[in-house]
Amino acid sequence: MPRQSVPRLLLLLPTATYRTAAFVEAARRLGVDLTVASERASTFQDANPGGLVTLDLSDPDRAAAQARAFGHEHPLQGVVGVDDDTAVVAAAIADTLGLRGNAVVAARAARDKHEQRTLLTAAGVPVPRFTLYRVDDDARQLAAGVSYPCVLKPLRLAASRGVIRADTPEAFVAAFERVRRILERAGCETRDASVSTDLVSRIPHPASRSILVEDFVPGPEVALEGLLVAGQLQVLALFDKPDPLDGPYFEETIYVTPSRLPADAQRAVAACAERAAAALGLREGPVHAELRVNSRGPWLIELAARPIGGRCSGALRFEIRERGKGNGETFSLEEIVIRHALGMELPVLERERQASGVMMIPVPGAGVLREVRGVDAARSVTLVEEVAITAHPGQELVPWPEGARYPGFIFARGASPEAVETALRAAHRQLQFVLV
Amino acid sequence: MNPAEIRITAEPIDTGRCKFVVSEPVHAGGVRRFASSDDASGSPLAEAIFAIPDADVAEVIVSGNLVTVVKRGPAPWQTVGKAVGQAIRAVLAAAGPAVAPKSAGPATPGTDDDALYERVADLFESQVNPMVARHGGRVELIDVQDAVVMVRMAGGCQGCGMADVTLRQGIEAMLQQHVPDVKGVVDITDHAAGSNPYFAAAKK
Repeated sequence: MPRQSVPRLLLLLPTATYRTAAFVEAARRLGVDLTVASERASTFQDANPGGLVTLDLSDPDRAAAQARAFGHEHPLQGVVGVDDDTAVVAAAIADTLGLRGNAVVAARAARDKHEQRTLLTAAGVPVPRFTLYRVDDDARQLAAGVSYPCVLKPLRLAASRGVIRADTPEAFVAAFERVRRILERAGCETRDASVSTDLVSRIPHPASRSILVEDFVPGPEVALEGLLVAGQLQVLALFDKPDPLDGPYFEETIYVTPSRLPADAQRAVAACAERAAAALGLREGPVHAELRVNSRGPWLIELAARPIGGRCSGALRFEIRERGKGNGETFSLEEIVIRHALGMELPVLERERQASGVMMIPVPGAGVLREVRGVDAARSVTLVEEVAITAHPGQELVPWPEGARYPGFIFARGASPEAVETALRAAHRQLQFVLV
Repeated sequence: MNPAEIRITAEPIDTGRCKFVVSEPVHAGGVRRFASSDDASGSPLAEAIFAIPDADVAEVIVSGNLVTVVKRGPAPWQTVGKAVGQAIRAVLAAAGPAVAPKSAGPATPGTDDDALYERVADLFESQVNPMVARHGGRVELIDVQDAVVMVRMAGGCQGCGMADVTLRQGIEAMLQQHVPDVKGVVDITDHAAGSNPYFAAAKK
């Protein structure tokens, strides 16, 4: 095959992502030429100038200019971002280079919780009632005018970091101060990172100075994984979150698919997510939406222009079925995302028949991890396929809402969502985290 | 050895590859790689793993207390892993070595692993390790078998969130450029044991 027929993908991989192995291996399986872009230089960049590049991932416009310069030497046919920030960068690069992707304004709207809610409200998509405050507002005065229960959220932190429910004015004041400190700390972290990388803060000034307060929406929460193709939403998976997320903090735990919601509720969830994507102007690529469902129907809580986070994509496997049976060939979510970005054929968009689930292992407490016991016993639980401890010995574990890093993930597959959920809980009970 | 006392930890890398960390040494004589059931002949552990039904095992790599299995079959690691664990326990409990010593001379006509080893070792010493050392890392060349290079990462590379980028976009790319006879590179690192990774991951 002539070499020039192999498409080149620009993969935007922040150095703090969990997504590296899944995306790099997916690109290898597809046989595409891969360029990995990070915010910090690889030590191999000079040795492999076509395969590695440093981009300012904190500044989409600057990153797009850098990518355009890179593309003169190494023409690019597709770009993929793997998280909230790089989804915006990918849109800017796609716009600059004429590649498949979302409009920058749409990606930015998805990235900013306040802008997202404003657009969704205007489009009639059901979202919690919300108000934006500044961190230096007087929390005691605000508390008198807020309706309860409410949820306080930073605008741009990931993984529910800094998200706190308040049921009373007193709890509101305490939560407001806590979110303020979390934002200050997040700002310090990004400034620390910039010392060695010549980057500006990853949190723009207005976002780091604002706190979103919205009504708490009761009801079970689901997560929808989808792919937008020319504005049409293909639902790849709908996960139930069987542990109630009622606060006061919102650390995730179990995701199980297929959903046990009634079929009409699932259709309503998908329709709500598609309307939300359209309202934001998203048209291409992966979306991850989180919704709540109650007697008034689905409520859009968050929609992101990226695939599912962490290592959770390991719970998804797609297969081509002939006469209702899989032919043995399976595809990962990352392969689908890369194929779509490069305009390659999409041979499959159907999830496997088996139920599947993942548990983001809860942070067991505050401290420094010394060891994890019971991993073998957890792995031996029926239906459990993998127990991945991603925290390393010596790592500081920080509980929510200050924390945002799970110590590991458990994966299971089985005949039913109930069986998968039971297996995940049983495996988790085997684990013992020793902290000092 | 009592098989019940042997502890085995399975660490799936993806749907096709899984590492098994064994509490007892499996093979003390360096690294052995088996690319087919014919290669496995004479090595009881590799024979047993290639014989696992429905796994369609493509490769077995044994080094110290690590056993890496590559499969083509769709059967999940939950099933295949238990069969691999049974094979490891059974072979370690039996008399005799689990893996036969590496035979002298090239395993495949037309390849000269010893010569490749020298060239790869030279590349690692002169270029690869000075590069990863900037992030406190180290890459050990474990062996070359059938033109496949086996490496183990240490220091800042062990458990690093960007280890796969280093492996594929760094080490493998340099091997393709400087030692084009190399057919592949396999990472046999126990990344879960890394205590000082240069980059650690957060959720999204």
